Amino acid sequence: MKKIFNTYFASSLLILGALSTSAQINKTPTEDDYYKIISIPAPEGVLLEAGGVATLPDGRIAVSTRRGDVWTIENPTMENGSAPQFKLFASGLHEALGLTYKDEALYVAQRGELTKLMDKNGDGIADVYETIYSWPLSGHYHEYSFGPKIAPDGSFFVTGNVAFGNEEWWRGESRVPWRGWTMKIKEDGTMEPWATGMRSPCGLGMINGELFYDDNQGDWQGSGGIFHLTKGSFTGHPGGLKWTNQPNSPVKLTTEQLYAKVDPRMERFEGRAVKPENIQDEKDPNFLYELKNDFPEVRLPAIWLPHGVLGISNAEIISDETAGKFGPFTGQVFVGDQGQSKIMRVVMEKVKGEFQGVAFDFRAGFQSGVLRMNWGHDGSLYAGLTNRGWGSAGTATAGLQRLMWTGKVPMEMKTVSAMPDGFEIEFTYPVDKATAENLDSYFGRNYIYKYHPAYGSPTTNDEKLNIKGVKISEDGMKVRVVIENLKQFYLHEINVAGIRSKDGLPVLHNTAYYTLNNIPEGAKLPASELSMKRSKPVVAPAKPKIVSSSNKKLTYAEIEPLLVKNTCTACHQVSKRQVGPSFADIAKRKYSNDRIVQLIYTPEPKNWPEHETPMAAMPQVPKDEALKIAGWINSLRAETP
Amino acid sequence: MQTNVKQCFLVFITAFSLTSLYAQESKTLALEDLSAFKPQAGNWQIVGDVIINPTVDIHAHQVQAPVESGKKSKKSKEVAAPEHPKAVTFSAGKGILLNMNNETIKDNLVSAFEHGDIELELEVMVPKGSNSGIYLQGRYEVQLLDSWGIKDPKYSDIGGIYRNWEKEPGKIYMGKAPLSNPAKAPGLWQKFKIQFRAPKFNSAGEKIANAKFISVELNGVKIHDNVEVPLPTGGPIENNEMATGPLMIQGDHGPVAIRNVKYRLMKDVQASLSNISYKTYYGNFKVISDFASLKPTASGSIPELTCEVLENENDYGSIYTGNLTVSDDGDYKFILAYTGGGRLIINNQQLTNFQSGDGWRADEGMINLKAGSYPFEIYNYKNASWMPPRLGLSVQTTGTPKTLTSFNSYPPADQPVSPILIEPGNSPRLLRAFLDFKGDTKQRLTHTIGVGDPSGTHYVYDLKSGNLVCAWHGKFVDATPMWHDRGDGSFKPQGAVQYLFNNEPLAFLTTPSEPFPIMLQETQVSNTPYKGKGYSIEEGTGRPVFMYTYNGVEAEDKIYPDDNNRTITHEVSLKNRGAKPGLYYKLAEGSDIITLPDGLYAIDDKQYYIKIGAGVQPTIREINGKKELITTIDSSIKYSIIW
Repeated sequence: MKKIFNTYFASSLLILGALSTSAQINKTPTEDDYYKIISIPAPEGVLLEAGGVATLPDGRIAVSTRRGDVWTIENPTMENGSAPQFKLFASGLHEALGLTYKDEALYVAQRGELTKLMDKNGDGIADVYETIYSWPLSGHYHEYSFGPKIAPDGSFFVTGNVAFGNEEWWRGESRVPWRGWTMKIKEDGTMEPWATGMRSPCGLGMINGELFYDDNQGDWQGSGGIFHLTKGSFTGHPGGLKWTNQPNSPVKLTTEQLYAKVDPRMERFEGRAVKPENIQDEKDPNFLYELKNDFPEVRLPAIWLPHGVLGISNAEIISDETAGKFGPFTGQVFVGDQGQSKIMRVVMEKVKGEFQGVAFDFRAGFQSGVLRMNWGHDGSLYAGLTNRGWGSAGTATAGLQRLMWTGKVPMEMKTVSAMPDGFEIEFTYPVDKATAENLDSYFGRNYIYKYHPAYGSPTTNDEKLNIKGVKISEDGMKVRVVIENLKQFYLHEINVAGIRSKDGLPVLHNTAYYTLNNIPEGAKLPASELSMKRSKPVVAPAKPKIVSSSNKKLTYAEIEPLLVKNTCTACHQVSKRQVGPSFADIAKRKYSNDRIVQLIYTPEPKNWPEHETPMAAMPQVPKDEALKIAGWINSLRAETP
Repeated sequence: MQTNVKQCFLVFITAFSLTSLYAQESKTLALEDLSAFKPQAGNWQIVGDVIINPTVDIHAHQVQAPVESGKKSKKSKEVAAPEHPKAVTFSAGKGILLNMNNETIKDNLVSAFEHGDIELELEVMVPKGSNSGIYLQGRYEVQLLDSWGIKDPKYSDIGGIYRNWEKEPGKIYMGKAPLSNPAKAPGLWQKFKIQFRAPKFNSAGEKIANAKFISVELNGVKIHDNVEVPLPTGGPIENNEMATGPLMIQGDHGPVAIRNVKYRLMKDVQASLSNISYKTYYGNFKVISDFASLKPTASGSIPELTCEVLENENDYGSIYTGNLTVSDDGDYKFILAYTGGGRLIINNQQLTNFQSGDGWRADEGMINLKAGSYPFEIYNYKNASWMPPRLGLSVQTTGTPKTLTSFNSYPPADQPVSPILIEPGNSPRLLRAFLDFKGDTKQRLTHTIGVGDPSGTHYVYDLKSGNLVCAWHGKFVDATPMWHDRGDGSFKPQGAVQYLFNNEPLAFLTTPSEPFPIMLQETQVSNTPYKGKGYSIEEGTGRPVFMYTYNGVEAEDKIYPDDNNRTITHEVSLKNRGAKPGLYYKLAEGSDIITLPDGLYAIDDKQYYIKIGAGVQPTIREINGKKELITTIDSSIKYSIIW
């Protein structure tokens, strides 16, 4: 096998091998061929723990930081080979985690208020720090505030994290009004509570004048996801319900009403509170969609961002308004992720009046967590980075990098749309008919996340997609995939590893994650129009081939497909600490193979106090695969005594 | 961002001091008479209250306080020269030790008791320009001086360890300056806490350890930290070094008042372990009974109590038994520190018991013992692979604990964090952060801003209530709690912080006896008539000008260092005052408020002063057991805080 294939293609190696006689590729393309990451060097000593990124009308970029500074950066594109110029515009803010430019001023969310920064004397340094609106805080560390985003009427959206309990340190709680809420604030200092259910609403985005936000996996949030936030929405975390009895609350649902339907599991044992854990093989788990009938405020995620795959701590949401300067995805949405230091791509559509849609991987490899993004005047995407206290795939603490389109269009699924009988995939290039007609080029599964007070949720009710057939459009740009077991409310994972473009390019990111909250009405494709071809010999791509001789030590190349498939590599590397401990460090703990399997199914994050992000339970990993992974992990110890 | 699983593990136990001391009971000098001291010329007396006019320098108008003996001191206050304002006045009573020396009557005050190792606490008050000193063992001087406003203190400033005046090489000691200058203004009480270790000698009388200040704190700020004093300092009672000596307070340089003297004499604790044996077990034990009755994997005797007998780092149980011998009667506190779970039994009495395999704790238990030998039992087990085995046992009465385990059984923590210290540069440094009022996390203020001034005089302002919260001199703030790792959003002022009071200082009161409003956390900000408007930066000075509105009244707050950066002046200006009557401003609150000449008020048992310009007539009132200094306000008020 050729070494040049990177991890993204590892699971498709076998198929590619089968086809490589017909496809003439000089080099497998990588993300870097299409989108380049360029660092913007900050002066030595400036710690750019980015909390907000704004673009000024003259092309300067402004960055607010967790250390409370606002820097303006002149010539961020480093034209003519000259270095960018940093100027300290403001300082002393309380962990400024959002920044927006509007009408000759910068608006910034501090922990406790929305602040307007103005430079009245024209020296390029703020001289007025005006409090637009101040909200209560209890003083808990987790009470971060994010925003603002500007509503079509010119007012500002700001979100606030919940705090955590003292004894129940795992349970998000709203100690003072409007924690766990989204607030809409007017320039005149009036505030309208907008929506609640937020746990850690780090990412906000205005898309075509509508507010979206993403939340982070944790208690009551089974995985990260993007919510369309209309007024009066409840997105799942019960902390903020404490204040729905306030006269100005647009949400009427009460904590008691919710807890009557879903047990918050506030259990005690021998005088101590017990942290709720995932219940394995739970008989009748709760799902958020089940509450929709009882409580009209319940808002499902328009997009699930499967935890560990499409991020672990989702952040900024931004839509591509570059009119093509950033490539072929105009109007689509990009989502940053702190823990995985990458950017995902999302396309939404309205079905039966509600947003839903598809998410893909887009670009990894940033030097630290991607918290904030904004467009530069040249159409490049500025990513404000930080990871302090959480850890990230990119090992730097902080920084500012920009992502630039190289002008080459990657072979990608441009979008995926729901159909009455499946999905329609649109590509950026016409597909190679032979590969696209072959059902073995496709595989997938669907699953859902639990709604429960435990930290995160495993993928639940996993089922393999039964792909009945496909139909390719005349121009080769679109493929209809007909699926027999579509499930409303479930996340549908569709992999097209086998497909090639007409020119023989594999799909750069070959998995689509579609959140099917609604199945559209309409005509289904007759079976007669479908291709149901299968290549011979069949190599089931869903089950990467692993040499299973129990005595043989597996190489990394042999185990990697399993690690990738089960999303282990999202957080673990072989010998380097990433979000979680390295496999080599796990090996040092001398756990038995069975114990490792047990820990995969029921992690004990307290075993790793120096790692800030707890691992979610992964009971969906098949036992035989978990055992192989465990055996491989333990083999690392022998290699490095 | 996600839950911090780390936080429940952060209660790590820092290393125990290895100094082994047995502390006797704390003693308080009653100061009802001078019987605790040796006879002196009469410059020292016991009085009831001392009031110092901070503006009068003792050298400008030498105080005349002719007293013949302490007993007759009551009459002395009528004697001072009438043509000058007096620096020091006092009234008869008990509780305060006062020195009023003159040219001829100027003895040092020497305690009747002698001490070696000692912990000493006292409060001192000096008038402007005065000078004294506290000599430990009569030989090692902590300087007392009116050092108010000194930016870079020397050994000769308050809290400095004084030099000597020897000329011969090898005998010269140049003293040690305090780490910072937490000095208060003349006439305010200043608190010292001193932990001192006497020099140690071998049986041949040769010195084997220098005298040492383990710690000296002035006004809550550590100014010496484990500093040895190799030689007696200047002006000792005798120019030699001894195992014990009396406490001496200098009386020949100027007036000084002293109160609340507490001390604790320390001596080596006589506690030891013997006949120590161990049993070890291996397995995943959830409670002690899971292994206590099993056959041990290994057993034996050891000369010193240590968990190093363990063969595995995890999944173990262990039982240690032996004898504890103490040579004094008394109450003993035992501290069992360990990873995993643990239980301590002494003389068949269970002192601590925590059964969970993944703790990292230090449990305390008290027991009264007569001199003698007692059996002890320790149970320890662990099933938490991420923590190393640790077992530490120490004994304490009321002083420093003595460690009874080997060093390696409970070594010190080894992951110190580099602090993130913030200082203003050439212009003021503003920084918002949570502030724990008086260091109390329950009184955490959430909308506060620290203002660090290049002059070294700093303050914190509460944007939620438009209130000046505290002020201090010296270094600005430690932002480590906010910026290290995830942080908790707070900073710590670096200096002797003078806290003032909480909540809104501006309010309409319907009657002069109505309390000022208190904001509740649940309803704060949005539902109060107070609205913070933020601040603008003043051109030229770079200082913030705070703005807020209150019931339509627009207020502007300016706060700046004044009087050679020793004080802070606060100017409040109002616009749109309207016609509604009863607008008041609170200037101070405290246990008591004393009116002094020239618009000065001493607040809260002489902790700080408020100085008000001519024309303002504030009133002192009592609200909920506290005194308040309030005034009506129409267009503006200007006052200073002096501390």
